[in-house]
Amino acid sequence: MIAINVIIGMVLIIIGLSFQVLGALGLIRLPDVYNRLQAATKSITLGAISIAIGVGVMDPTLLTKAILVAVFLLITNPISSHAIARGAYRSGVPLWKGSVVDKYGPALERKEREVKE
Amino acid sequence: MMERTTFHRSLPAIALALLFAATLFVAFVEVDFGEPRIEEELPVNYQPGEEIDTENITTPGLRYLANSSEETGSANLVTAVVVNYRGFDTLGEVTILFLAATGVGALLSFIKDDDEKKKKKILPPSLILNKGARLVLPLIILFGVYVFLHGHLSPGGGFQGGVIIASGMLLFYIAEPTKGASHKVISIIESTAGLAFIGLGIVGLMTASKIFLANDFAGDWGEVGMLVSAGLLPLIYIAIGFKVGSEMTGLVEKMRGDGS
Amino acid sequence: MNELVFIALATLMFILMIALAVMVIRSKDLIKAAILLSGVSLIASFVFVLLRAPDVAMAEASIGSALTAIILVFAIKKTNRFEEGGEEK
Repeated sequence: MIAINVIIGMVLIIIGLSFQVLGALGLIRLPDVYNRLQAATKSITLGAISIAIGVGVMDPTLLTKAILVAVFLLITNPISSHAIARGAYRSGVPLWKGSVVDKYGPALERKEREVKE
Repeated sequence: MMERTTFHRSLPAIALALLFAATLFVAFVEVDFGEPRIEEELPVNYQPGEEIDTENITTPGLRYLANSSEETGSANLVTAVVVNYRGFDTLGEVTILFLAATGVGALLSFIKDDDEKKKKKILPPSLILNKGARLVLPLIILFGVYVFLHGHLSPGGGFQGGVIIASGMLLFYIAEPTKGASHKVISIIESTAGLAFIGLGIVGLMTASKIFLANDFAGDWGEVGMLVSAGLLPLIYIAIGFKVGSEMTGLVEKMRGDGS
Repeated sequence: MNELVFIALATLMFILMIALAVMVIRSKDLIKAAILLSGVSLIASFVFVLLRAPDVAMAEASIGSALTAIILVFAIKKTNRFEEGGEEK
C-alpha cells in the first residue's frame, strides 16, 4: 500500500510535467517572441511550481524549502518575462502578422506626446 | 626591425622578473608548506560511507576522509580541504581574483566613452522590474550570506556565497541603471576582508601549532554539525565571502561603465 | 540511483553540452553566443550534481551562467555585436 501523500505528490508532479511539455511545445511552435513568452511564462511557471510542491508533499521534510522555491519562482518568472517582452518591443522586434491587438504601442505614443507637451 | 627594438626594451623587464623569481626561490626553498604527502599507490575505488582502515592509510585523500571531521570540526569535507589543509592555496586564489579585478579596472580606466553614437538614450527600467528587483534583492543577499555562513555544514562556501551576492547586486544594476554602490565603500569592504583573512592566518601562527592558517580551535566550541564547531573555518569563509562578493560587484560595475 | 539511468542522463548531458558548444563557435551573433555559453555552464553544473560535487555545481552555476554571461554582454555592448563576415541586421 502506497502512502496517500506519495500518491498526491505523484499526481502533482505529473500535472507539472505535462504543463512543462506543453510549454516546451509552445516555445517551438508559436510564431513570434511575444506568443512564445506566453508559453514560457504561464505554463512553465505553473509546471515548475507544481513539481516543487509535489516533491514537498512526497517528502514532508522538504515542504518548507519547496514552498520557498515556489514563491520565489512566482515572483521572479513573471518579472523576467515582462522585462524580456518590454526589451523586445522597445528594440523593435515586430509582431506576428496575424496579431489582432497591440495596446502597448499606442500607449507609448500617447506618453511621448504628453512628454513633448 | 620593430620587433628588435621592442625586444631590447623588454630586456630589463625580463631580467627583473627573473631576479624576482630567483629571490622567491631562495626565500622559500627552506620553508615547509604543510605536511609531506604520502606518496604511494592510489586507492582502489573507494565508496563513500565505507569503513576506512585508519592504521594503513596510503594516500592523502583517504587520510582526509578518515580524519577531517575530528581534525577540523567541519562536516563538509570539501571545506575542510579548501580552507584547512590547503588554506594557503585559497589565499593564492583570492589574490589571483583580486589581481584580475584590479587589472580589469586599470584597463578600463584608459577607455573614455566619448563616442556620441554609442551614447544612446538609456531606456529607464519599468516599474515592475524596479519594484520586483527591490523585493528580491534582500532575499538573494540573505541566501548568499547563508551559503557562506554554512560553508562547513552544507555544500557551498565563501566563493559561492560571494558570487551569489554579486549576482544580486547585478540585478540591482539592471533595475537601476543610473545608481550604483560607491567605489570607495566596495574597496573598503574588500580590503577589510582581505586583512581579516591574513589576520586569521596570523592567529594560527600565534596558537599552539605555530603554522600559518592553522586551525587550532577545531571542535573546541561545539560538536561537529553545529554552527560554531569548526573553529576558525567559518570566520575565514566569512572573510572570503565578503572579499569575493565585493570584488565581483566591483568587476561588474567597472564593466558596466557609466549608465549602462 | 540506478546505474543505467545515471549513465543515460550523463551521456545525454554531455551530448547536449557538445552541441551547444559547437553552436557557440559557429554563431556570428555574439550575444547569442554568450547566452548559449551560459547554457553550457548550466548543463555542466547539472553534470556536477550528478557526479556528487554540489560545491562545484554551485560555483559553476553562479559564475558560469550568471556573471560570465553578463560580463560578456557588457563587453559586447561596448564593441560590435556581429562578428566580421556576419550579416548586419
